[in-house]
Amino acid sequence: MSDVDSGMAAPEGGDHDHEVMLDPRVQESIGRSLKAHYDDIVSAPVPDKFLVLLAQLEATEHRAAGVSTDERN
Amino acid sequence: MSATEFKDGLIKEIPNLRAFAASLSGSMQLADDLVQDTLLKAWGNSDKFEPGTSLRAWLFTILRNTYYSLYRKRGREVQDSEGTYAERMATHGNQESHLDLADFRKALAKLPEEQREVLIMVGATGLSYEETAEICGVAIGTIKSRVNRARTKLAELLSIGSLDDLGPDRQSAAAIQRVGSEIVGP
Repeated sequence: MSDVDSGMAAPEGGDHDHEVMLDPRVQESIGRSLKAHYDDIVSAPVPDKFLVLLAQLEATEHRAAGVSTDERN
Repeated sequence: MSATEFKDGLIKEIPNLRAFAASLSGSMQLADDLVQDTLLKAWGNSDKFEPGTSLRAWLFTILRNTYYSLYRKRGREVQDSEGTYAERMATHGNQESHLDLADFRKALAKLPEEQREVLIMVGATGLSYEETAEICGVAIGTIKSRVNRARTKLAELLSIGSLDDLGPDRQSAAAIQRVGSEIVGP
């Protein structure tokens, strides 16, 4: 995160006039909350319907590649 | 890349797609509809994905475009009628952080979309500023400026503008919340 924060800093003094720079500790606190929010959803179980959908798409593709002539009738 | 490899790649990205979609739409139900659309589009356009580039960035681009073209209005309607996912979602973290997380999500939902999406991408997904700029179709400087404004706005909404508010035992939490709701307004 320190790379990101140093990247955020204005290269010269000028931008400080119209861009509020938050205290690094406030930025860290927000960063932690952001990760907590996001990771909470990332760690939730993936609904089966997505796996079923992808398995169906894959099966359709294999069938199309393998036995496409059979489906003409 | 075989169909199976591509499928496995998509499966790995589903949790991140759900988290990004929920952050954009403010609803877990809309998020899952959005993820389903994204997976279907990704599958149909798999020949356009360049192996070796970031699958996550490619999928986020599809998801984001789908959201802005089809879901944005529905997202607002859901938020208006049912409240945001912030209050409705079950959390999987520990109990102690539950309240703080709910407060944070309410504040996050109040950010302008263009600020919220970049804050999430840069701050939580592991995407770089460069990738985020490419996904949003704007310059890196614009991304940095939006992230900065988003953080400042969040600090304001959460009343953590001053260091005192970050104390380990937020003893005046009730007072802070009162001030916070005054700032947020009706």
